[in-house]
Amino acid sequence: MSNNFPIHVEHLCKYYSVHQKESGLAGSLKSFVRRKYTDVKAVDDVSFTIGAGEIVGFLGPNGAGKTTTLKVLSGLLYPTRGVARVLGFTPSERRAAFLRQITLVMGQKQQLSWDLPALETFLVNAAIYEIPDDQFKKTMRELTELLELAPLLKKQVRKLSLGERMKCELAAALLHRPQVLFLDEPTIGLDVTMQTKIRQFVCDYNERYGATIILTSHYMADVTALCQRVIVIDHGKLLYDGDLRALAEKIAPHKLIRVEFSQPLNGQRLEEYGEVVSARDQHAELLIPRDATSDVAARMLAQLPIADVTIEEPPIEDVITRVFEQAAKARAERGEKDEDEE
Amino acid sequence: MRYLKLLTIFYKNSILKELEYRVNFLSNAFMSVFWLVWGIVGVSIFFLHRDTMGDWTYPEVLMVVGLFTFFTGVMESLLRPNVGAVIEQIRDGTFDFVLTKPVNAQFIASLRSIVIWRLVDVIIGIAVIVYALGQLHVTPTPTQIGFFLVMIASAVAIVYSIWLVMVSFAFWFVKIDNITELFYAFYEAGRYPVTIYRGVVRVLLTFIVPIAFITTFPASALLGRIDPTTTIIGFVFAIGSFIASNRFWNFALRYYSSASS
Repeated sequence: MSNNFPIHVEHLCKYYSVHQKESGLAGSLKSFVRRKYTDVKAVDDVSFTIGAGEIVGFLGPNGAGKTTTLKVLSGLLYPTRGVARVLGFTPSERRAAFLRQITLVMGQKQQLSWDLPALETFLVNAAIYEIPDDQFKKTMRELTELLELAPLLKKQVRKLSLGERMKCELAAALLHRPQVLFLDEPTIGLDVTMQTKIRQFVCDYNERYGATIILTSHYMADVTALCQRVIVIDHGKLLYDGDLRALAEKIAPHKLIRVEFSQPLNGQRLEEYGEVVSARDQHAELLIPRDATSDVAARMLAQLPIADVTIEEPPIEDVITRVFEQAAKARAERGEKDEDEE
Repeated sequence: MRYLKLLTIFYKNSILKELEYRVNFLSNAFMSVFWLVWGIVGVSIFFLHRDTMGDWTYPEVLMVVGLFTFFTGVMESLLRPNVGAVIEQIRDGTFDFVLTKPVNAQFIASLRSIVIWRLVDVIIGIAVIVYALGQLHVTPTPTQIGFFLVMIASAVAIVYSIWLVMVSFAFWFVKIDNITELFYAFYEAGRYPVTIYRGVVRVLLTFIVPIAFITTFPASALLGRIDPTTTIIGFVFAIGSFIASNRFWNFALRYYSSASS
């Protein structure tokens, strides 16, 4: 039915059986003799579809199930239950025709040969993906230009910096021009400039080839810069799927009012308008309940010497944190234990 | 054709990789020679006191030592760096990159690299076999050579299958270094003809951990001590274990849990 969507996931579950270990030597001995196994629900009844050319951000704390979902979608893991379809294929069958069109980039794992220049790994991948010579040359030219690879290609990978290595990893993963990209923390550990470059590159790739991309990242900036749509996962459950900005509206009960005064305040108290986040010299930031924003702003304009006022959504980082806090609270209320999965 | 091209590029890269570390290359070549000499010294000391080992004479045992060296070479240059390395890849999760490639995973996992300096063992092993034949004043008939080659091929297939099954266990247990150690302990037994072992041990080394197929049977084939039936049984056994190990590997793949990022 929804075969038009490159990515289609329905009631997907992936459970791991893990043995629990009590801390300390005694605990280790005990678990060595007799292991208690429990199912960890890494992904628990998740459904979503992603359209062609979309860039979707996966958000969630460590152990939320983001990476597991990506691994199921790229065919590495067999799902416990449920349906996963990518480009019309069932990923876990790992058909060559499917693997040719996807790629998985993991910020913390590398496929480049440590002791050889990155170019050698590129040539291996060119052979594996059977990329014709002229297309290989063309793609190499494009990637070299987009990622500024020229000075890196001939150096042994072990001599590259983390950021340089990541750029080469991306190139190695994209040589075959995949239609679907699974990027798992592609910017982890990189400095801000490099993060921006990688981000820009992902954006360019998406525009140039119309590729469908799922991105996970710990850095909200990656997500806000690249994704309009986010899928929020926590403890294997899907919490939110939709527009990034709508998420803020839905979740954050407050808006942020930033005011600049034309003259120092004359004993007027800001507390009566809302929660004061900061107040310094002639600047102040207040959190106002979402419904009351316009009333409060009007009152402030009338009663205070205001030179400038702006109303903003609170920073998305705070919004996301709040989503997870709410989810944890809901779980606690249902009496579920909050286990750390990583 | 495509797979041939892949092999060429895989091996080119492995060789490049090894040439990165010249000192390592030389010291390893030295180690190979050292272990061979050590093996021959052991056998020679034995034959200072006895005329036969089991019912094998000195040159015949030497042939087994040659085959043992040959197989050590095959194992260390082709099996351990490939199938053996899968264990480590499963543990650190880089096996992900093998599985996401549009090429048979078993092919990549089994043939991706080669440790060329260990081919020295293969060459030395062949030299020792030829030398032993010279000592015996035996020229094998074409049929015997044929049987010998079939036995060698079967032996390679059997050893490979054992490795593949061992490694497949890593998909569940992740850390299985002890299983491979155990295999090496049995493998060491192949240094001498299995006929010197008695009773249960001999049965164990023939059928459970088929070390007999690796050294004793090919040597017997070359010496004309083996009948066609045994050769055929060995061959069928090899094909059977190859198929079985492939099935088991594919089954085990389902349980890959991919170490977390």
